[in-house]
Amino acid sequence: MTDGRRLDYNLVETTLDNGLRVCVQPDPVAPAVAVNIWYEVGSFDEDPTRTGFAHLFEHLMFQGSNNVASGEHMALVEANGGSVNATTSTDRTNYFETVPRGALDLALWLEADRMSSLAITAENFAAQREVVKEEKRQRYDNQPYGDLLELLVAQHFPADHPYGHLPIGSMAHLDDATLDDVQQFFDDWYRPSNARLVLSGPVEADEAFDLAQRYLGQVPRRDRPDHATAPVPALPSRDTTTHGNVPHPLVYLSWNTPPAAHDDHLPLDMALSILADGHTSRLHKAVVRSRRLAAEVHAASLPHLRSTSITTLMARPTDGISTDVTAAALVEELARFAEGGPTDEELARAIAQYERDWLLQLATVEGRSDLLNDAWLTFGTPGHVNQHAAELAALNVDVVRDAVRTHLLATPSTLHYLPSEVSL
Amino acid sequence: MKRPTVSLAGAWHFPEPQVLALEGGTQIWAFDLPGQHIAALELVLPTSLSTEPRPIEGVATVALHCADEGTRSNPDGRISELLELQGAALHGHASQSHTSLGGDAPAHRLPAVMELLAEVVTEPSFEASDIEHHVEMQVAAFDSRVASPDWVAKQALRQVLFGRDSREGRPVAGTPETLKAISRDDVLAWHSTQWRGGNATLVVAGDLAGLDLSSALSPLNRWGGDAACADTAPQAHRPTQIVLVDMPDTVQATIHAGGLTVGRRHPDWAALKLGGHAMCGAFASRLNLELRERQGYTYGVGGGFSARQDDGQFFVGGSFRVEVAADALRRLLDGLALAQPFSDAEVQDAKRYLIGVAPLANETASDIARQAAVLAAVGERASFVNEHFAALELPTPSEVTSAFRHHVHPDATSVAISGPASVLVPALQAAGMDPVVIS
Repeated sequence: MTDGRRLDYNLVETTLDNGLRVCVQPDPVAPAVAVNIWYEVGSFDEDPTRTGFAHLFEHLMFQGSNNVASGEHMALVEANGGSVNATTSTDRTNYFETVPRGALDLALWLEADRMSSLAITAENFAAQREVVKEEKRQRYDNQPYGDLLELLVAQHFPADHPYGHLPIGSMAHLDDATLDDVQQFFDDWYRPSNARLVLSGPVEADEAFDLAQRYLGQVPRRDRPDHATAPVPALPSRDTTTHGNVPHPLVYLSWNTPPAAHDDHLPLDMALSILADGHTSRLHKAVVRSRRLAAEVHAASLPHLRSTSITTLMARPTDGISTDVTAAALVEELARFAEGGPTDEELARAIAQYERDWLLQLATVEGRSDLLNDAWLTFGTPGHVNQHAAELAALNVDVVRDAVRTHLLATPSTLHYLPSEVSL
Repeated sequence: MKRPTVSLAGAWHFPEPQVLALEGGTQIWAFDLPGQHIAALELVLPTSLSTEPRPIEGVATVALHCADEGTRSNPDGRISELLELQGAALHGHASQSHTSLGGDAPAHRLPAVMELLAEVVTEPSFEASDIEHHVEMQVAAFDSRVASPDWVAKQALRQVLFGRDSREGRPVAGTPETLKAISRDDVLAWHSTQWRGGNATLVVAGDLAGLDLSSALSPLNRWGGDAACADTAPQAHRPTQIVLVDMPDTVQATIHAGGLTVGRRHPDWAALKLGGHAMCGAFASRLNLELRERQGYTYGVGGGFSARQDDGQFFVGGSFRVEVAADALRRLLDGLALAQPFSDAEVQDAKRYLIGVAPLANETASDIARQAAVLAAVGERASFVNEHFAALELPTPSEVTSAFRHHVHPDATSVAISGPASVLVPALQAAGMDPVVIS
């Protein structure tokens, strides 16, 4: 698609004296400016016996600082017609607000105040610990298949591996945590040198750098913290069966795949799209429509920055078909794909779909600033966004086929998730 | 460092579409949005689910999801492959008041995409095997929904507000019983009577520079005929209730509360939108600050007023750990009583948010198309958005307070809860409430 291939955002970068890296993407016609900060800390950086801290901060960061009352950060942004939120993954915690241009100073001031003087008090900690417990209940414990991700991760990483637990963490660990532990985690990771700021919207680079310096430049410099090096997990593929109060049997096949920045990820994404994205996909045609061994098939990736990622194929077997039979059919079709590769048209369709989704993410300043920060952390430069369309255009059927041969022909781990009354 | 002051720019306006009509009667709303290279399409069919024959409810949903499986010109899934090659993706939803079929695609490919969309709309082949597959998918989706505490509470509230004898009180996509009764003939009949061009609206939004619009839209030129409209009897007033659906294994009580109200054309509507935001819409809303930030009872409380075809609905909800759910509900209902009137600051913040966030909420072609489609579906013009923003500026805090008190009252608020009845019923009774356990 020509629009994507012409993509050329003007990206201007600088590093403040305190180590904060700043990238500005001026967009004079955007309706607002996105302020997007990625702290390079996630559940990967936690002590496996003290998990959930990175995510706890996603909450504590809205509880006030020297000049901001508890909850005031969100209230101020909203009252100025902005949107604000934060999320935590294995490798980073992102904080973002999109505000009218006239409130950019305020947004940067708010970020600076909490970066330098977050109010880590017993009261805030106790209240947010309860909110996090409710979040875990609502999003995991109270949902059918709510422990699925945890079970999947456990097939690939031992519990003491940095990727061996989910960002939501252990509620027991949070109960055991002291205020000093929490303060220490903040001091270790919430430093200008461990953060990247992307501004996208109607602001020129020079002006944006001045504002970043005026507010965030005042946060004291501290050395950039080191991140652990993660071993490649040596877990063999395994076959796990679990029962739960769920409506349908599901089967997940999953493989160890390379870290997020590896060249094979884009061709693997295309392969997954060709195999399992929608009713035109290979596996839908073969396993759902033709062989009637599954009612639906999907694929997903769980990328990791510093070690092995996880790639999955999932199917819901047709009534009366066992998860083993469905899983075997997926493996057979995958082998067929690895043998012959995709057709030119299949790849062209996958690329066209990927490109549209990607351009839709770039269409808002919030989505664009987050993708720029993602590229910066994953590939070392926000400018990777400008190269991405060319990488996509350079793909061919052989590269996609070879990526599948290299990474998805090993025996997968298999997870059978069955309703309580059904046996395998 | 001193807190910076904020200077907000002038008013934002929702764009005005070019309105045309195709030969068959389909209204076109075209929004030319420079720089929006991914265009959005929304086709609105003003067909009500109350038109579905009761034994085959869900037929509107099945017909919609089946439509792009194959066409007479491009059968067996080829139509979807051709759409994908153009970088297009379709989506759709059959709601109580209308069915929408939309898509996103590169703007410069709209002529080719329109030809394919016209095929999907006018000549779907509805093969029996595809219908069978989509019926199975909808049955499975139903089974998944009834395992979800949130959907169970939502559906229970609909049942209380509308009653099981009203289409609106029953599941939008049917039940396994009605879905399994759907035949190919039913789907063909639904399509031929309800998917009619004469009363449809097509919204096109994106960078339309260089596009010959009438030529691009010509594949739908001869699509005509009017769909039969259902009689929409006004919703009968039903008694307020607190109901509970027993889900013994759940670790939270999911609470949905609300009631029917006046709608978008009522003089109080702007005041209600402001009050709803201050009560439960904002992160810093009264109820979220109380139940999340002060009490730590929940991950969050959300809600507000939403407009329906002819009236409106107030809703507030959240999930609370079981031990505190009765106290949470008591506090929630007490909050709705509005003992303390809305303050100047609360109303001012609500105005600044609801008006100020508009440019962000309408940043993409897809945002504009979806907003326009909602208005087209209820017979409004796109200019309603700007009229509403102008109206939001006007209410005083005392007007917001009195509108909220007039249209929402704890005694007139129905409540639906999903959770473990063995714990919740005694706790609610001890807190002075009398829940009815329903299935």
